[in-house]
Amino acid sequence: MRSTLSLKDRFSRWLPRLVLSPSLVAIIVGVYLFIAWTGWISLSSSKMVPKYDFVGLEQYIRLWSTPRWETAVANLFVFTVLFLAITIAIGLLIAILLDQQIRAEGFLRAVYLYPMALSFIVTGTAWKWILNPDLGVEKVVNDLGWTGFVFDWITRPEYAIYCVVIAAVWQSTGFAMAIFLAGLRGIDTSIIKAAQIEGASLPRIYLNIIVPMLRPAFLSVIVLLSYISIKSFDLVLALTGGGPGNSTEMPSTFMFSATFRRNQMGVGAASAMMMLMTVAAIIIPYLYSELKEARNEH
Amino acid sequence: MKLITLLAASISLLPVAAMAESKGTVEGIHHWVSESEVNALKVITDKLASKGYTWQDSAVGGLSGANALQALRTRLAAGNPPTTMQFLGYEGLDWAKEGVLRSLNDLYAKNGWDKALAPQLLVFVKSDDTFISLPINMHRQNWVWANKAVFDKAGIAEPKSWDELIAAGDKLKAAGVVPLAIGDEPWQILEVFEAIVTDVNGTEFYKKAVIDLDEAALSSDQMVDAFDKLRKVRGLVDDGFTGRDWAVATGMVASGKAGMQIMGDWAKGEFLAKGMKPGEDFLCFPTPAATANFKFIIDAFGVFNNDDPAVIAAQDAWAESIMDPEVQKNFNKIKGSIPARSDVSVEDFDACAKRSFADREAAVASGNMVGGLTEGFAAPPQFSGVFSDVVGKFFVTDMSSKDAVQALVDGINNAR
Amino acid sequence: MSTEARSARRAHQFGRLFIYGSLIALAIFYLMPLWVMIVTSLKSLDEIYSGSFIGLPQAITFEAWEKAWGQACIGTACDGLRPYFVNSLLMVIPAVALSTAIGAINGYILTKWRFPGANFVFGLMLFGCFLPFQAVILPMAQLLGSLRLSGTIPGLVLVHTVYGISFTTLFFRNYFITIPDELTRAAQIDGAGFFRIFFSVMLPAALPIIVVSCIWQFTQIWNDFLFGVSFTAGQSSPITVALNNIVNVTMGRKQYNVDMAAAMIAAIPTLVVYIVAGRYFVRGLTAGAVKG
Repeated sequence: MRSTLSLKDRFSRWLPRLVLSPSLVAIIVGVYLFIAWTGWISLSSSKMVPKYDFVGLEQYIRLWSTPRWETAVANLFVFTVLFLAITIAIGLLIAILLDQQIRAEGFLRAVYLYPMALSFIVTGTAWKWILNPDLGVEKVVNDLGWTGFVFDWITRPEYAIYCVVIAAVWQSTGFAMAIFLAGLRGIDTSIIKAAQIEGASLPRIYLNIIVPMLRPAFLSVIVLLSYISIKSFDLVLALTGGGPGNSTEMPSTFMFSATFRRNQMGVGAASAMMMLMTVAAIIIPYLYSELKEARNEH
Repeated sequence: MKLITLLAASISLLPVAAMAESKGTVEGIHHWVSESEVNALKVITDKLASKGYTWQDSAVGGLSGANALQALRTRLAAGNPPTTMQFLGYEGLDWAKEGVLRSLNDLYAKNGWDKALAPQLLVFVKSDDTFISLPINMHRQNWVWANKAVFDKAGIAEPKSWDELIAAGDKLKAAGVVPLAIGDEPWQILEVFEAIVTDVNGTEFYKKAVIDLDEAALSSDQMVDAFDKLRKVRGLVDDGFTGRDWAVATGMVASGKAGMQIMGDWAKGEFLAKGMKPGEDFLCFPTPAATANFKFIIDAFGVFNNDDPAVIAAQDAWAESIMDPEVQKNFNKIKGSIPARSDVSVEDFDACAKRSFADREAAVASGNMVGGLTEGFAAPPQFSGVFSDVVGKFFVTDMSSKDAVQALVDGINNAR
Repeated sequence: MSTEARSARRAHQFGRLFIYGSLIALAIFYLMPLWVMIVTSLKSLDEIYSGSFIGLPQAITFEAWEKAWGQACIGTACDGLRPYFVNSLLMVIPAVALSTAIGAINGYILTKWRFPGANFVFGLMLFGCFLPFQAVILPMAQLLGSLRLSGTIPGLVLVHTVYGISFTTLFFRNYFITIPDELTRAAQIDGAGFFRIFFSVMLPAALPIIVVSCIWQFTQIWNDFLFGVSFTAGQSSPITVALNNIVNVTMGRKQYNVDMAAAMIAAIPTLVVYIVAGRYFVRGLTAGAVKG
């Protein structure tokens, strides 16, 4: 059989792979080669500029005995869990509410989506004022007469990370909403009607029937939100600058300051590798199961 | 790579440095982006223009210059350094060690600039035997700025010790004024802390603990005591200090909402901009020390190695513009600092600058002039970062002084 | 009217009230920062520094907007945001077009021209989504330097295209997988080749996902600061870098009103994209992106 393939056929067999190869090369260089480079630097004594020697795991030991890094890791977990949970909950709620044949849906949708469009370099300042007890919400509520109201999380190291969560949720809910809304629009409305005829209440229908049907939307939202959460950088810098007292430090801000502010490139590279390993530990099993399923389908 | 040819074909390449009709271009990365800073910079670039060279601005603001440093690092990695770069603290020395900076020995020898610079300052301008940067100004960090009307009303005079300052703060608090205006950014807090360390324990202790990072000094009782004092200062601060910019804090002092602020002399411009006069409307005095000391910060420019004689000529013109006495004078009148050159007269400067100038002379003579820790003139960034971590955390939590000292010692050792 | 019907109607009215009430309350929460920004941008600087941060302006002035657009200084160059706005457009249009085009063809290959290891290749690409970009700046700078693209807008376009491929490939692959293989097979039997099928069968069906991909890429690239500040300088900087230089003042006085106006100017293109294309966005997502 093989010998009967003409040159043209052989070319057309290889064409897709050929067209794909530049992308693959770009990814291999831009992602994997650079990860390897970072890995190498994390094993070197690099300080201000890259140095290609070998010091073993010294930088990792240094990293893990830095209290700020421990704070950053703890914060990433707290932040990711809360950010994902709240964004998904509110995003889903808004999507369901918007799906009830609402007037001015387009306008409301734009209202929920616009935060994605704004750069945090400046919205951070607006949020800073809103969260500041002497300028923002607390003051407004106090002025309205409820003098006992206290909302000073941003001044308290143990609560400041929740302020970062609030601002992050504000920025990303619109995106989650759009994906859920899309998922809802893809569901056959006759299912709802049928359930209603059987006497099920609307909240129950959503909880028991519709939400489970949104599984693919949930997966997309989780992937995109985790991406946003791992990369949250501008957000933290603009809102708290990592403060008060480094209580809102995140791995990404830690890596940046180690590499570019403190002349600890080796430590910065080690922290980048830790981040990558964490991501890999979560994403690779997910990818594996997703792609395996896809294979079974076809 | 298919991608790149595609790209190159789709958009015409934009040249990095558009050459204008001039002898050449000086491209500089700096982090001066506020209005007064830019106006000051224009004094230098105007001088450069009068020599026939064009200034090409590559400002990168933010994070006390960290963004600019990052830009420089990537430019060097790409083999495309700018003509000149603004340096703070050890940055210049670090780059000199990497061998990327041009030696300025010929220019220094020809013009005798080093004779006009204080010896403590030369530490940051000279790497071993090589001159590597050109200082334009000197800020003094250990200043207290006070609202005169508020001080008079509460019957407070210039405090002579930190205990007096804290007592004065309590008085202000009783009078319903915020005693100390400050933000919660670690660098603002560190400015207060390093002033306490130096003022209470003397410059010798500061040199040992902060500059030499001597473990015995770092873990000494004097350090614990300094943290105790900082804890008392914490009591003088209002709750709204979160995320407060230093200039907003200065505004509080100017409006009488707060009594005083501890900040470098760039704060002066805020008062002057409101038409307030030193000595009449606001007071400037050094942080109270048993022996007077002077904490300095300089901004300096370094130039990068280049073989092209045209670029070298442009660099020479740039260097001569910065070190020009007239330029130094006019630059600093706008910037709020004093000239880096000690031989430039400050006759027509304001009262605070004159005091700064006189204090510098005295501090140079008595050996009490030291680099400021906060802006990176006492310890390299990996160590000063530890100070700001610990001090920043101490200030906003109820960490004990002993724990703070321990965290400091551990952190410094870890970063060594 | 029976009591049952009446109570059902009342319950329905109550439900509507609840829905609208919640939507409006949430909308107020989402608009709060925008309100702060607009109000601040219309105030004079003196008013802000006298302690008025959130309240209404005493006197409305558009000075800050004019200044942000045409006069604000970035270093010694006082041209406002205008030139950088153009830079960003020059960067974002080719980068979005290229990354979307590449993503489309990758998605097509990975679903309709599957080869051994195609899933592995897709996995490799997808992992790129989660790369912390701070880690690749220095090696990327070296690469750009050796390609002589350092400090240029084309260099920036290249970087954004490379790191955009991961996402666009994900979008298109998940979309194309929902298109039945029979369609392409039929076209193949009719004698259509690789490219012909792509252009005449796949692309016409892909409009919704093209919108999604463009919106996502546009937002990401337009708002990017890290790459912009690393790989461009001075006059070739994108708008976020210019915005940062206006806003991020450490030792000088912050011009809050100009900052806010500048931020809104910088956000206009993305806002327009969201508002104009918002409905297609949801439609595009509906059409397949979430069925992955």
